[in-house]
Amino acid sequence: MRRPPPLWRTEMLLIHCPYCEEQRAEIEFAYAGEAHIARPPDPAALSDEDWTQYLFIRSNPRGRHHERWRHTHGCGRFFNAVRDTATDKFEVTYKAGELRR
Amino acid sequence: MSGFRLDRGGRIDRSRPISFSFDGVTYQGFAGDTLASALLANGVKLFGRSFKYHRPRGLLGAGSEEPNALVSVSRGPGRHTPNLRATAVEIYDGLTATSQNRWPSLKTDIGAINDRLGMFLPAGFYNKTFMWPRSFWDKLYEPLIRRAAGLGEAPSEEDPDHYGAVYAHCDLLIVGAGPAGIDAALEASGTSKRIVLIDEQDEPGGGALDDPALWPWLKESLKDLAAAPNVTVLNRTTAFGYYHDNFIGAVERLTDHLTDVGSGSREQLWRIRAGEVILAQGAIERPLVFAGNDVPGVMLASAAKTYLLRHGVAVGRAVALMAAHDSGWRDAFAHARAGVAVTAIIDVRETVAPALTGEAAELGIPVRLGHSVIRVHGRHAVKAITAARNDGTGHARIACDALLMAGGWTPSVHLWSHSKGSLAWSDELGAYVPDRPNEKVRCVGAGSGKWNCGSGLVIDALPTPRDPSRIKAFVDFQNDVTAKDIHLAVREGFKSIEHIKRYTTTGMATDQGKTSNLNGLQIAAQALGRHVTEVGLTTFRPPYTPQTFGALAGHAQGALFQPTRKTCIDGWAEEQGAVFELVAQWRRARYFPLAGEDMLAAVNRECRAVRSSVGIFDASTLGKIEVVGPDAAEFLNRMYTNPWKALEPGRCRYGLLLKEDGFITDDGVSARLAPDRFHLTTTTGGAARVLNMMEDYLQTEWPDLDVWLTSTTEQWAVIALQGPLARKLLEPLVEGIDLSPEVFPHMAIREGTICGVPTRLFRVSFTGELGFEINVPAAYGRALWERLMIAGAAHGITPYGTEAMHVLRAEKGFIIVGQDTDGTVTPYDAGLDWAVGKKKPDFVGKRSLARPDIAALGRKQLVGLLTDDPAVVLEEGSQIVADPTQSIPMKMIGHVTSAYWSEALGRSIALALVAGGQGRMGEVLHIPTPGQTFTATVSPMVFYDPQGERLNV
Amino acid sequence: MSDALARSEPVLAGHFIGEGVTIALAPPLTRYSLRARQAQALETVLKTKLPKRIGETEAGIACLGPNEWLLRAPAGTTLPMGAGLPLAITEISERSVCLIVEGRRATEVLAAGCPLDLERFAVGRATRTVFETMEIILLRTGEDRFEVEVWRSFAPWLSRALETAARQLLRGK
Repeated sequence: MRRPPPLWRTEMLLIHCPYCEEQRAEIEFAYAGEAHIARPPDPAALSDEDWTQYLFIRSNPRGRHHERWRHTHGCGRFFNAVRDTATDKFEVTYKAGELRR
Repeated sequence: MSGFRLDRGGRIDRSRPISFSFDGVTYQGFAGDTLASALLANGVKLFGRSFKYHRPRGLLGAGSEEPNALVSVSRGPGRHTPNLRATAVEIYDGLTATSQNRWPSLKTDIGAINDRLGMFLPAGFYNKTFMWPRSFWDKLYEPLIRRAAGLGEAPSEEDPDHYGAVYAHCDLLIVGAGPAGIDAALEASGTSKRIVLIDEQDEPGGGALDDPALWPWLKESLKDLAAAPNVTVLNRTTAFGYYHDNFIGAVERLTDHLTDVGSGSREQLWRIRAGEVILAQGAIERPLVFAGNDVPGVMLASAAKTYLLRHGVAVGRAVALMAAHDSGWRDAFAHARAGVAVTAIIDVRETVAPALTGEAAELGIPVRLGHSVIRVHGRHAVKAITAARNDGTGHARIACDALLMAGGWTPSVHLWSHSKGSLAWSDELGAYVPDRPNEKVRCVGAGSGKWNCGSGLVIDALPTPRDPSRIKAFVDFQNDVTAKDIHLAVREGFKSIEHIKRYTTTGMATDQGKTSNLNGLQIAAQALGRHVTEVGLTTFRPPYTPQTFGALAGHAQGALFQPTRKTCIDGWAEEQGAVFELVAQWRRARYFPLAGEDMLAAVNRECRAVRSSVGIFDASTLGKIEVVGPDAAEFLNRMYTNPWKALEPGRCRYGLLLKEDGFITDDGVSARLAPDRFHLTTTTGGAARVLNMMEDYLQTEWPDLDVWLTSTTEQWAVIALQGPLARKLLEPLVEGIDLSPEVFPHMAIREGTICGVPTRLFRVSFTGELGFEINVPAAYGRALWERLMIAGAAHGITPYGTEAMHVLRAEKGFIIVGQDTDGTVTPYDAGLDWAVGKKKPDFVGKRSLARPDIAALGRKQLVGLLTDDPAVVLEEGSQIVADPTQSIPMKMIGHVTSAYWSEALGRSIALALVAGGQGRMGEVLHIPTPGQTFTATVSPMVFYDPQGERLNV
Repeated sequence: MSDALARSEPVLAGHFIGEGVTIALAPPLTRYSLRARQAQALETVLKTKLPKRIGETEAGIACLGPNEWLLRAPAGTTLPMGAGLPLAITEISERSVCLIVEGRRATEVLAAGCPLDLERFAVGRATRTVFETMEIILLRTGEDRFEVEVWRSFAPWLSRALETAARQLLRGK
């Protein structure tokens, strides 16, 4: 049986949803990996190395990180964020499809 | 004065006596007493035994910083709380408390032999001694050490209490209701801000509670705050952690101080989101480090003052003061004025402010400047002290039964540090003080370091003429760390304070080093010959004080631990005595035993019914997604491995879903209701995951597609009717749907009504028999099920559960994603090549199927397995080897994923993932198990009706 | 054809009456999920106004996301399906049930597990959110009245959790 998350752990951050235009508790959101890694339009045209790069390799920086979140238990939208991985602080959030900040 | 209780003074209510017990002895205290103050009043000085040396210990402090006086409180089965600080336990009639970490009694503790053997128990003793032989650790060393060095006993019964949890939002949260916190609240109370003021004690006031001069102000201020509609004051509430974005966790203790705990929550977890936080946590006095500073009766001067002025208790009849700071002098004066004899004020400083010495002279207190205590006489209680000049000369023995220590003040920066605010070293205070904030927070009062606590000398350890290697001058009282342990750690090469902390365990116990960190740091700095700021500072982490597991679990206990999802038919199954199993969060009927049947008998009967007449199965838990929009077919074509565009409305298709890495993640049969509307099904456990994955692609990769997804899992109840008589049963109940096989073939869907309710009727089969899955709006599922049971009685209708469902599907070689696959299985590995649209230019996961390691030979492939002994049902998860005679460890080439007794075949069947399995047809493999190795022959996956003729009826 | 099939509900229809709060199961409703890039496409088909801002409600329709609306109407209401148009109208009447939490202490009961700042959640607002780990749609339909939409199978847990929270209020504050 899967354990429920502890009540006071998963909800620390306040995240500004660029669609709802308000700050909501982290517990409504789900992290969705690094941002701005577009699926290649023609995967068949990629070499094995390039496909591997797309599939598995992530930047994993300390500091400024572009990442995706989904307001799963809110408006349901995926959006992008810049967050500092050292401080956990969000710098900005913006809608999916907008230019990298 | 009766005992040590003063005749007047304090905030206790002498008209309300309270009876309680400690270690089996009954005592009397008054309302307003803590366990510590009430015991002190009764002359009790011995409160506990130390962790390592089992030394007798008394009270060091008077608040939550107390390291020594840990007690257990028992109030009936399941209500046993260990490691409570006696200084924070309010007494109530019937309170039953016991001391800890002693055997057979507090006074006579066998473990105290460790104290005599102290030279053999240096820092890092356990790490050094119990290393070898390794095998002794689990069975001998660790249990012995744990028994010898316990800190209280964990309760063994289930906790009967309820724990509440609540979210709160405020514009201003003030932690600490001392003078600074109350001032901050008063100042803000005139605004429109929502203010929450919390304090860990039973009444607000903090330091003001020790100062009768402030009581009128306190009373007035609390009245004003109570009258302010925008201010909430929470007593007995500890802010234990400060998290990101001004999220503060606090626990309010609701019943621990009451004789009758009632039926409400014991504690409440407050999850507070604050616009701004003001930390007014105050400061904690530092002990001084000298030989014998842990003898019961040696305590912080400020604590003695609290007992004196707040609780009306003298900590001794003749007290002495060892000071390095002015504040101790004032505490000693307070004692003298209350009629307690002060036999000496000893100050390590050569000079102090003349006002202090003048006042001492007025009160007739002998003063020794430039002196230090070098010895404390007495083991279970202070009898006298010996002081000497700082140069080691001029020994003098001074009689006293209590010694107050005044080592200066340490601002409580715990929560500030949780919030990642930076700290700056103050040479003047000899402590770290809040510097730059990381959240919207500020510190006020003594906790900010800006409050005037007087001046003092910052000193690592008091001078002594004695051999420092032969004395125990304690730094960390709870963990029994002495100054020489820290010196030893430094000599052995530890340079970082983080390493010194872990090696010596200083600051690591339940008090989190509240009284010990700064002394430990300064001793380490001195030993290393560096400034303290170069040595570093250990990290403060939540919780500020220990909290119960119950409070942190909150609602998530008992029936509310986590939801058990039930279908609308679940109640019927329960009434029939079904045996259930959990699948994801769903509770599903596993089988329906008749009287006297075991699982195998029930499952065999259920399987026979499906193969010979008709079975009925609750498939409501299947995930369902409605895919609607002009681009619906295009979208599904990109998501699934197989082609969808040409699927005609009214027809169904088996869909196989890969992740981009090429591995199977889900499957299910889906139907096209209209050119722009599909009814998808997913596995029970995959419903949320698949919808999230599809939303991801739709929103972020292909936002140009006009198609939308809606979860309809719970909109529909799904009743599967499977078996040769299914159509005959269904025909008279359905309107608007022609069930004849010519117009309603296998893998088709029709919409109409059943028993007057709209239905989406699928003709599909997960059993290999003629079958239908009847979707009706969920509210009607139970009634339809019961109607089908009545109508089916004549046809021998038999409810079957998930176990029979598994057997029936395995007989047909249908996989269960997550059981027969494990996240590394491709469609080719699973023998599902037919479900991959090879002409499609792209679909999710397609490119990965051409990766070299996925095209490589020898991958594990799903195959059938028939045991040579047909009666043997292999255990799922069993490992498979090619040669059972090889030496251990054997090369394992795969494992059994599914294994059942097949009633239809009269023998066992199994599915297995085997390296190069599809090339091993007919090969005999071996399954070693404890006691016996089985042999089995690799076979195709379809065991029953391989031509699928039973579907075409 | 015999008698019509009877409905069954996942929680008892009766009221829970606590100190300053009642919790009750709402009668059956018709519910539709409405999706389109722009509200206008749906307005044309449904011949009704849609709220444009996320979190707003208008005539029983709540805007839950930039292209998502929840329509709640009396049981039996039917909608055109908009076949072929670039929009999606999907019936979800039975996907959830609605618990009505009403009374002067309704916000306190909901605050037991809902992380929203309910004091500042205005009447007329609606949003998807959570109660502890469970997804809900919360609608404030009056100063002291909230409607909680929850998926059918989660309703027993949620009603129990709300009632437990309401009982804890009895100790007063």
